[in-house]
Amino acid sequence: MAQLRQDYEKFVKLDTEIIVAGPEKAEAFKDYWAKENLPFIGLPDPEHLVLKLYGQEVKIFKLGRMPAQMLIDKSGKVRFVHYGHSMSDIPENKELLDLLETQMS
Amino acid sequence: MARVELNVQAPDFKLDDFNGKSVSLSDYKNKKNVMVVFNRGFF
Repeated sequence: MAQLRQDYEKFVKLDTEIIVAGPEKAEAFKDYWAKENLPFIGLPDPEHLVLKLYGQEVKIFKLGRMPAQMLIDKSGKVRFVHYGHSMSDIPENKELLDLLETQMS
Repeated sequence: MARVELNVQAPDFKLDDFNGKSVSLSDYKNKKNVMVVFNRGFF
């Protein structure tokens, strides 16, 4: 998250909003966002609605406990998906930004 | 581990953010790219 925050402005410049969904409740999000001073949209999903939706409809989410990232373009299509194999397995911002710049802007 | 289906329409979702503001994927259609990060917990 700190890594993403650092480059947030670069994502904004490439016309990209970042939405972070997680299983915590709103209060936990609020506390964490305040503590870490995060600029993203935080989406509490304690009932795993979004996770289930994506797991069922796109079959892209293996219902594991690892982080995942997904880029959706302006037409609503999925253009990039990454599944972490561990909690620290997160794509480099540069990879995401390059894709946004070269193929999605 | 191939679970990726690229270039398909992402299913729309609608949830409230932690401030109670409604957020849906379709809000961004034709306006912005969206990066959705599924986080497995902050703590």
